[in-house]
Amino acid sequence: MAFPWLSASILFPIAAALLIPFVPDQGDGKRVRWYALGITLVTFLLTVGGYLNGYDASNPELQLVERVEWLPDLGLAWSVGADGISMPLILLTSFITSLAALAAWPVTFKPKLFYFLLLAMDGGQIAVFAVQDMLLFFLAWELELLPVYLLLAIWGGKKRQYAATKFILYTAGSSVFILLAGLAMAFYGSAEGAPISFEYSQLMDKGMPLGFQLFCYAGLLIAFGVKLPIVPLHTWLPDAHGEATAPVHMLLAGILLKMGGYALLRFNCQILPDAHAQFAPLLVILGVVNIIYAALTSFAQRNLKRKIAYSSISHMGFVLIGIGSFSALGSSGAMLQMISHGLIGASLFFLVGATYDRTHTLQLDEMGGVGQKMRKMFALWTVCSLASLALPGMSGFVSELMIFVGFATDDAYTLPFRIVIDGLAAVGVILTPVYLLSMLREIFYGKENLELASHAELVDAEPREIYVIGCLLVPIIGIGLYPRLLTDTYRASMEALVARDESAMKALIAPSGGSLIRQLPLRAPMLPG
Amino acid sequence: MPSAAELAWLIPVLPLVGAVITGMGLISFNRTINRLRKPVAIFLLSCVGAAAVLSYAVLAEQLAGAAPTEVLFNWASAGTFNLEMGFRVDALGAVMLALVTTIALLVMVYSDGYMAHDKGYVRFFTYLALFSSSMLGLVISPNLLEIYVFWELVGMCSYLLVGFWYDRDGAANAAQKAFVVNRVGDFGLLLGILGLFWATGSFGFEAIGSGLQIAMANGTVPRWAALALCLFVFMGPMAKSAQFPLHVWLPDAMEGPTPISALIHAATMVAAGVFLVARLQPVYEAFPEVNAVIAVVGTITLVLGATIALTQMDLKKGLAYSTVSQLGYMMLAMGCGAPVAGMFHLVTHAFFKAMLFLGSGSVIHAMEEVVGHEPVLAQDMRLMGGLRKFMPITGATFFIGCIAISGIPPLAGFWSKDEILGVAFGQFPILWVAGFFTAGMTAFYMFRLYFLTFEGEFRGGDRAMAAQLLTAAGKTAPDHDDHGSSHAHHPHESGWQMAMPLVVLAVPSALIGLLGTPWNSRFGQLLDPQEAIEAAEHFSWAEFLPLAGASVAISIAGITVAVLAYALHKVDLGTAVAARFPSLNAFLANKWYLDAINDKLFVQGSRKLAKQVLDVDSKVVDGVVNLTGLLTLGSGEGLKYFNTGRAQFYALIVFGGVIALVVLFGSLG
Repeated sequence: MAFPWLSASILFPIAAALLIPFVPDQGDGKRVRWYALGITLVTFLLTVGGYLNGYDASNPELQLVERVEWLPDLGLAWSVGADGISMPLILLTSFITSLAALAAWPVTFKPKLFYFLLLAMDGGQIAVFAVQDMLLFFLAWELELLPVYLLLAIWGGKKRQYAATKFILYTAGSSVFILLAGLAMAFYGSAEGAPISFEYSQLMDKGMPLGFQLFCYAGLLIAFGVKLPIVPLHTWLPDAHGEATAPVHMLLAGILLKMGGYALLRFNCQILPDAHAQFAPLLVILGVVNIIYAALTSFAQRNLKRKIAYSSISHMGFVLIGIGSFSALGSSGAMLQMISHGLIGASLFFLVGATYDRTHTLQLDEMGGVGQKMRKMFALWTVCSLASLALPGMSGFVSELMIFVGFATDDAYTLPFRIVIDGLAAVGVILTPVYLLSMLREIFYGKENLELASHAELVDAEPREIYVIGCLLVPIIGIGLYPRLLTDTYRASMEALVARDESAMKALIAPSGGSLIRQLPLRAPMLPG
Repeated sequence: MPSAAELAWLIPVLPLVGAVITGMGLISFNRTINRLRKPVAIFLLSCVGAAAVLSYAVLAEQLAGAAPTEVLFNWASAGTFNLEMGFRVDALGAVMLALVTTIALLVMVYSDGYMAHDKGYVRFFTYLALFSSSMLGLVISPNLLEIYVFWELVGMCSYLLVGFWYDRDGAANAAQKAFVVNRVGDFGLLLGILGLFWATGSFGFEAIGSGLQIAMANGTVPRWAALALCLFVFMGPMAKSAQFPLHVWLPDAMEGPTPISALIHAATMVAAGVFLVARLQPVYEAFPEVNAVIAVVGTITLVLGATIALTQMDLKKGLAYSTVSQLGYMMLAMGCGAPVAGMFHLVTHAFFKAMLFLGSGSVIHAMEEVVGHEPVLAQDMRLMGGLRKFMPITGATFFIGCIAISGIPPLAGFWSKDEILGVAFGQFPILWVAGFFTAGMTAFYMFRLYFLTFEGEFRGGDRAMAAQLLTAAGKTAPDHDDHGSSHAHHPHESGWQMAMPLVVLAVPSALIGLLGTPWNSRFGQLLDPQEAIEAAEHFSWAEFLPLAGASVAISIAGITVAVLAYALHKVDLGTAVAARFPSLNAFLANKWYLDAINDKLFVQGSRKLAKQVLDVDSKVVDGVVNLTGLLTLGSGEGLKYFNTGRAQFYALIVFGGVIALVVLFGSLG
């Protein structure tokens, strides 16, 4: 039997976390942080090993499959595997977590507990992307909530209790829908003797009727919409992000939000294609709302962390548009946008934390002219902000472009609808630099803020910080220069997924007469049946 | 041995490699690298120099009649889509390559002198190399998508360089304004590119041109849609080439160091818009309406730039508005369907305007010795005067530039501007009238600049005026400025690094026009041999002389007024014109009130809107959540939340809402 790469990368960090109490440490975190860094690096290597040894990018099927019966009576099995939708996100998770461990270097308050939670999250999040069983997925999804709650509630800012409670209520409340939808789908057809199963592959083949799919879809959309987040389900995010410390922040923005996007692709698009054909216009419209609404709120925000938090919401709007398009290009763009935002968001949030360590304030009004003392920091900020505003040569541009082109050439929607959506999404192209550059301007440009300089020690970026950003910039720029580095790893799976959705969409009988949003079936001969 | 064209990809890559190496050095070993000034400068100069050599080789091949080369590779793909990137070398690109590398090289040499005392010397050179790389990449882009990529990158370099002195508020604001205004143009460009791709399935210039015709003939794309797409694409050049009403960023961009104004904001980047319109000729030539719009926009711009330049007191701002005006001429040529004429003016203008800007930099550099490092003082012509005596090389080259731009034969500007006026006369006589009178204004304001700066008495010691200027700008005199002891009493000529580029640029400014004489236009033969032969055949002195004579006459008239007013002081324009038409004067001095309108409408408007959305977000959307939670959360027992049934109720509402929305979309189609 081949080496169980995926199980290893899930279980290893969790097992290592359990050993943390035995790490000899003075209580200042100086040893345990090396331990945690080592574990996250090994986990990263494990995921890379799995990618290199057992994963064939040209194969759209599930790979690296490991399956062990767990509780056969419940239909529960330890079933993990990776296809093109999972693999890039698994790599992203272990990569960002290892950098977060490095970003957590200054943490001295209860370090053992902190790193315990960090490592537990590492395994839990890889599990979310790797498991192939809906019950396991639900467990992994819940498993990752608790560490985040504690990380927020113990190491957060002034309003940490409020933020943490809001986070847990939102996500726990919404995950009820996952459980309900999962149970409903698992038990569907069992009255007629079909076996009860939570496994994705079996759920996909159940042939559920449209009405049933619609209800499951709606429930799942709410659950994942909270996570992604979709306006108006987003209000936990600015609070949670506003209170989190830098490493937690990197995980929240880099990985947690992507769980929502991944789950939308995995369940809503893959398992419920008929409902997806119905819901897709809603996703697209919500995506545009996300882009513009969050960009405007971000512009008006005076708190740095919250500003970037809203910018994350805005960027995730592109993911929604990509998912809602029935084109391979648009869906690939959505996937790329998730990875890209994971990297760029993590880098920006890391910089926010590093800046806060020096200025001890997040209010833009209290900053100004910081660039004169922190020139390297200024340079890092500039590069990451430019990446975030989708400058060509960096990953954000490619993903947004793919979504734009994919949606513009998408025959599923009518021309006016496409024009309006692309046009409004392009407004985001104007708004993003408005808030990001004015943010840079307020922090770094202009005369030095004397009051800030008098009580804050503005030391320039240290090598560790430059290293973290450097590590994030390598893939950001690499993908920006040659996107196929990444898109080729998931292309086959994504095309299979889109083909499935497309046939569902074509089967959708459009009402006769003037339709506003959906195109009438274009090529009648291509309709199935 | 591969031909130079096959190696053309190296032209942008070489400066990029240089910039990346020094950039990484700056971030990792900041102090050491910052101390290595000359080595870094020489290293980057040789990178750009190598690119220049290669560019000349490419140009030589094109002159020898080589066929265009295009190399593409698959850059991104999904499903049936393939986005391709690569490079393309043809006559148009080769001319631009040679032009950009030449001016970039000269500007780099010049910067060694200009930035000698700046602590950001190394960073400046890094940015310069980065910009050269992006601009060269833009020039050899084979399709619209790649143009868009480099289009944004040159915009970013412009942002970094305008905001180079980031401790100055003016520079910070100008940099941001430049980027955002350009993004407004890019918004249109992006949508246009997307639409053209939808309509034709291609990003290539020729393929779009022919594809659009076929699509219109098939009826898959209505004509109005094709027109709209062409106009959307044109928004990009409007912003980049500072066409009305998106020109507002360019004068502000003068906050950047002067070598940047010469390289980016006069010679190369701002010409990218004109270049793109030239590239898009296969698409645009089928739409006379689009061309008419381009011509009208160009004409408004050329009038606007020239009229505002009449009243400017800041030397660089005067030149900036002059650039706006000249870019308008180029666009007018494009709109008249004469891309060769427009490109020719682009080339001649690049040389003499770069020289004028570098000359103004030399003046400012010299003035800083006298009045200190305060742009409000060092750039104001009310404190200049008589500088020719102190700086003869700068004075002489500036004078040559003034004659060239005024259109006096046989200097460069005459031939290119006259060609544009000639085609405009044939196509749109009304626009020709505007262009014709603007030529007179151009001569007037340029010589006004020249006389105020270089002739008469030196006014740099006028403390009262200096104080008045500072108050007007809302600044206080820098207290550490101890006049007299630390500052010289009169300016000095700049060192060889700055003088040499001026002299070198004076040669093409004077002579390059002779390559484009209407009876034997070598420039035309290179870019469009067919048309050049026809033009030479149809050339007649009887048609050429009256038009050319008229434009020379109006230029001389403009110069005469300037001489009377500013050299001989026979006419006081202040009382004769400005006092008699105060509203007109105010209109011009306030730059047609466009900045005020912009600020009111867009800047304040967007701030207000954003504020309101945030209020909605925190009070309404989050308010609902908090209200539901408040009763239970207040007691600190979060889990009770679930027992009250309120959570389920809230969830039910959301769930019902989602279902209702889907039903709605289902019925909409």
